[in-house]
Amino acid sequence: MRQNGIVFAALVIVILGMLASGKYLSRTRPHGPLKLVGDVRGVLAPDFTLPSLDGSKVKLSDFRGKAVVLNFWATWCPPCKEEMPWLADLQKQYGKDGLVVLGVAMDDSSPASIAKFASEVGVNYPVLLGTDQVSDDYGDVQYLPTTFYLARDGTIMDKVTGLVGRSEIEADAKKVLNTSYKPISTMQTQASAGGGKTVAVKQAAKGSGR
Amino acid sequence: MRRRGVVLLSTLLLISFAGAQTFSSIMPVVMAPVGNVQMRPGSSKDVTLDFRVGPEFHINSHTPKSPLLIPTALKLTVPPQITLAEVKYPTGQDESFAFSPDEKLNVYSGDFSIDAVLKAPANLSAGTYPVKGELRFQACDHSACYPPRTIPVQFQIIVVK
Repeated sequence: MRQNGIVFAALVIVILGMLASGKYLSRTRPHGPLKLVGDVRGVLAPDFTLPSLDGSKVKLSDFRGKAVVLNFWATWCPPCKEEMPWLADLQKQYGKDGLVVLGVAMDDSSPASIAKFASEVGVNYPVLLGTDQVSDDYGDVQYLPTTFYLARDGTIMDKVTGLVGRSEIEADAKKVLNTSYKPISTMQTQASAGGGKTVAVKQAAKGSGR
Repeated sequence: MRRRGVVLLSTLLLISFAGAQTFSSIMPVVMAPVGNVQMRPGSSKDVTLDFRVGPEFHINSHTPKSPLLIPTALKLTVPPQITLAEVKYPTGQDESFAFSPDEKLNVYSGDFSIDAVLKAPANLSAGTYPVKGELRFQACDHSACYPPRTIPVQFQIIVVK
C-alpha cells in the first residue's frame, strides 16, 4: 500500500511538471479574448487602427469596397521575406482593380529597421506596426507568415498560415478581387424593399463582381 | 480496493489534463534535466546544458547570418560568490530550407549543448548555490516561424570542501 502511495506521488509530481512546463512554454505572453477562433471564413474581419511606417494611421474598415490581403509578418521570419516580393507584385498588378495589400509587422524591431527591411525586399504597400491587441483580435497570430484574404465587404474569405506558393497566393487574391460590395445605404434600401436587412447583407457578401 | 480505484481515477484524470496541455502546446525546444553540479573552492567547472530541438523545427544559432535574425542566447544568474566566466555555444550548421532554397541559415537542429564555465573562489563556503536563467530562441519549421520564446534553466551548485 505504501509503495502505491509513493508511485502515485511520483506520478503526480511528473504530471504537475508537465502541466507547468506546458503552460510556460505554450505562450510567451498572456493574451486577451480571441475574436477569431476556428473556421474564420465568412466572418467580418475585426476592425483596427494601426500606425503605418509613414506615420499615418490606417483603419482597416476604410478599405471597405477594396479586396484586402492582410499579411502578418516579422523581420526575423525568413519565409515572410520570401513571399513579400510576390505580394508587392500583386499590389502592382492588381492595385488598379481594387487590390490592397496591407503588411502588419509583428516584431519588436524599431520602425526604422522595419522600414529598411521592407524597402530592401521591395515592399510597395503600406506596412503597419502590429500590436498584441490586433494579434489577439485575429486569433493570436503566432505562426508567421499568416495572411487573411478579405472580400470587398470586409468578410474573411480565407486564412493561410505559413508560406505557400506564389500561384496559390495569386489565386486567393483573385478570389477576393472577384467579390462585390454594396455600401450600407444601398443595402438598407434593398432590405426595406426585400423585407429584411439580413437577407440583403447575405446577398452582398455572396455577390460576385465578375 | 475502493481507495485504489480513487487513486487510479485521479491518476487518469491528471494524465488526460497533462496530455491535453502538452499536445496543444508547441514546444520547439526542450532541455534535459541538469543534476547537481559539484565544485570545490578555487576550482572551475564546465556545466554542460543539453537541449533538443523538435524534429520539425530549427532555431537560429548563437551567430545567425543576419542581424535581423534572433540568436539563441543563454542568460544565467549565478550567486554573487560564483563567477560565470564564459558561455560556450556550439557552432551552428549552415542549412537551406524549402522556404528559401537559395539562402543558407546558420541554425541548431536536433540535439545541441551549451557549456557554462563557472569559477568558485578559494574562500567559498561549502553549501548549495542555486543558478537560474533562461534560454531564448526563435524557432521556424519548413514553412513558418514562431515568435521568440524562452525556456527556464536552473540547477544547483554544491560546493564541497
